[in-house]
Amino acid sequence: MTVATEPALSPAAERLRGRLAGTPLAGRCEVADRDLPTIEVSPDAWPSLARFLRDDPECRYDLFVDLFGVDNLRRPGQKSRFETVVHLHALARNEHVRVKIPLPDEKKPALPTASEVYPAADWFEREAFDLYGFDFTGHPNLRRILCHDAFVGHALRKDYAPGQRWFFAEEDMKAPEWATHTDERAGHFETQTISIGPSHPATHGIIHLIARLDGEKIIRAETNIGYLHRCFEKMSETHQWNQIVPYCDRLNYVSAMINGVGFVRTAEKMLGIEVPDRGRLVRTILSEFTRIMDHCVCIGANLVDIGALSNFIYLYQNRENIYDLIEACCGARLTVSYVRVGGLAIDVPDDFVPRCRSLLESIPLFLKDVQKLVDNNRIVRQRLQGTGVVTREQAIAWGLTGPMLRASGVPYDVRRARPYDFYDKFDWDVPISNEGDNFARYLVRIEEIRQSLKIIRQALDILPAKGAVSSDDWRVVLPPKDAVYHDMESLIYHFKLVMEGIRVPPGERYEWIEGGNGELGFHAVSDGRGGPYRLRVRPPCFANMQAFQKMVIGGTVSDAVATLGTLNIIAGELDR
Amino acid sequence: MSGVIDVSARIPDRLTFWQRLYLPEIFRGMAVTLRHLVLNVVNPRRMPTIQYPEQKRNYSARFRGKHILKTREDGTLKCVACYMCAQACPAECITIVAGEHPKIAYEKYPVVFDIDMMRCVFCGYCVDACPKDAIWMTRNYEMAFFTREEAVFSIDRLRESKAEIDAHGYGYRPYYPGDGTTPPTDASRLPVVAGSGERDALRQAGVALPNRHVGAGPLNATSQAAKFTA
Repeated sequence: MTVATEPALSPAAERLRGRLAGTPLAGRCEVADRDLPTIEVSPDAWPSLARFLRDDPECRYDLFVDLFGVDNLRRPGQKSRFETVVHLHALARNEHVRVKIPLPDEKKPALPTASEVYPAADWFEREAFDLYGFDFTGHPNLRRILCHDAFVGHALRKDYAPGQRWFFAEEDMKAPEWATHTDERAGHFETQTISIGPSHPATHGIIHLIARLDGEKIIRAETNIGYLHRCFEKMSETHQWNQIVPYCDRLNYVSAMINGVGFVRTAEKMLGIEVPDRGRLVRTILSEFTRIMDHCVCIGANLVDIGALSNFIYLYQNRENIYDLIEACCGARLTVSYVRVGGLAIDVPDDFVPRCRSLLESIPLFLKDVQKLVDNNRIVRQRLQGTGVVTREQAIAWGLTGPMLRASGVPYDVRRARPYDFYDKFDWDVPISNEGDNFARYLVRIEEIRQSLKIIRQALDILPAKGAVSSDDWRVVLPPKDAVYHDMESLIYHFKLVMEGIRVPPGERYEWIEGGNGELGFHAVSDGRGGPYRLRVRPPCFANMQAFQKMVIGGTVSDAVATLGTLNIIAGELDR
Repeated sequence: MSGVIDVSARIPDRLTFWQRLYLPEIFRGMAVTLRHLVLNVVNPRRMPTIQYPEQKRNYSARFRGKHILKTREDGTLKCVACYMCAQACPAECITIVAGEHPKIAYEKYPVVFDIDMMRCVFCGYCVDACPKDAIWMTRNYEMAFFTREEAVFSIDRLRESKAEIDAHGYGYRPYYPGDGTTPPTDASRLPVVAGSGERDALRQAGVALPNRHVGAGPLNATSQAAKFTA
């Protein structure tokens, strides 16, 4: 008989176990070491564990990253049918931790809310309630968020029949009480409620803001989202790994390349395969170019909202030139579908390097023009400086990531905190600002464009002139066409791969990268078949948009418009 | 690796007197926009605007536009109705009904090959999946239609035509000239094994020939969903 020995823990998991040992929580949760240190806890102990993880001086997991559900109905051998998974991040040590909360009651899955400890959990809990039916007791505003109010059932449960249709009429809309009723004791005297959106030129997508105004000052606001929800996560469960790449392009469609890279990295880590350096460098170069586009679109659209049109045209010309490069590589401008698990669909064209270098020359010229027009312009300064202010503490509490968080003085950039691909080899800076206002976010984005150019320049210098861009593991990557046409064994690999998909070993993994507007993470659960059992995308927009209704309080309606522009909300990613 | 830079510290928080006067900055801004105007007037080729539809964008040889079904030298479709493109398609827009080809060398052929252009996301996965070099894409992106029925392109609109290639050119394809790939041998040039190569004649002569799988493809949106939830 063999004695089961405990595998050695990573230092982070070891420290967690040590810290938890002396507390009342010790008997109620267990620490395991997976791809991340994972704490399993019962629902009733979850709020105290959350408080401990946030406040304990050696834990200090202060940034709330993600919360979502998993339905284990068709995945036998799990503790319970439903479980809630939470990801937290410690800014001081750059560490992630995962908390798993199995929900014992299958009929009525319930757990206490964590939104008092982590205000950012608010919308994530609403989403888990909407899509899984988890009851977060004590949640201040537990109602549907992505599906509409007339929806019946919980769409991400495995036994939900996906063919059903639920129709939404105007009277089904549940507006908040404070918006429909005037209460004079609550200071509503001579105030009025207005709707900004869902279809409004300043919302850049379909977003609904209900605001109560006192004069022109917003005293209360609430955002409704979900108008562009198209079940990305549900559809992922019925597709093969590679078939999800085109869907990923449509998440943040302004920086489509980055989403694909983020997704395939999760699958590659689960498979344990290596992508050749050339493939990873091409991914890096094109990701940085799409990041530049993302920032150009954000700054350009934001400046249009406050009345400056020329900048928009100068910034969009960069985007146009970058799209030309991307189209020459993969054949499409917006929805690139360029990455595959294990590498790229096709090698870059012969003139790739000179084209990149000419872009490196042209982009700074347009940036210079924009900065000449904007930086010292009194109108821009008055519209952006001091509006939409987020302090450092607020930014962390609201779970902001990306340029939003950096503009509030926290230098958290995934490329620096957990360097993937070649980011630790490049010489570049993380731009931050301590102001936290709209102007700071503009400045941070402009500087990030320059840093991206710096990264691309260095990546081009070390890009191997020739070589494979994809792995040669034919269980993952399609064999070259010449072999498929003339060699029976390659044809068999080709056939198995197309018909059955990539066999990713069972397990789960969270991989995160720096997206255009924050931490973009993909959590995949595999049960060994050709497609993921559950795929969760951590959309950076979602947490950023959640903060919007708090950021606009006290400002005017025109400030809200300027603030929304600097959030860089992409509805495709927000609503998925 | 390098450090962290504070961008707000690099730019003066308060505007100078001249900047606050507003007009000097306006003129500085006007100089920027006027420079662009003058340069564009002097050199119209510098302007990025394309006067579509009179003028068209020049796309690369990898552009993913309308599909074409490649043909053999004798004009028959190279497609052998193996359903691999239909399976690879993330949008499930390809419908194939297979038939037994009378000529043995051609094995199967598609009786129906429909692509629903309203569902298609132009990802190129069908081109990657094809083992017979039978489906390519062109640079044709002008496919407007008035009804949903018109959006379903059948074989007669997908078959490669010289006029279409002359007008638009090939786009995304499994291999490009000069990349070292040898296309599969054209089945119409393969030596015929026995007799005339016609299946019916051989069957009448008493040769036992296997029946090829004939019928509609195994996949559509419903059956694929069932496969993963069963």
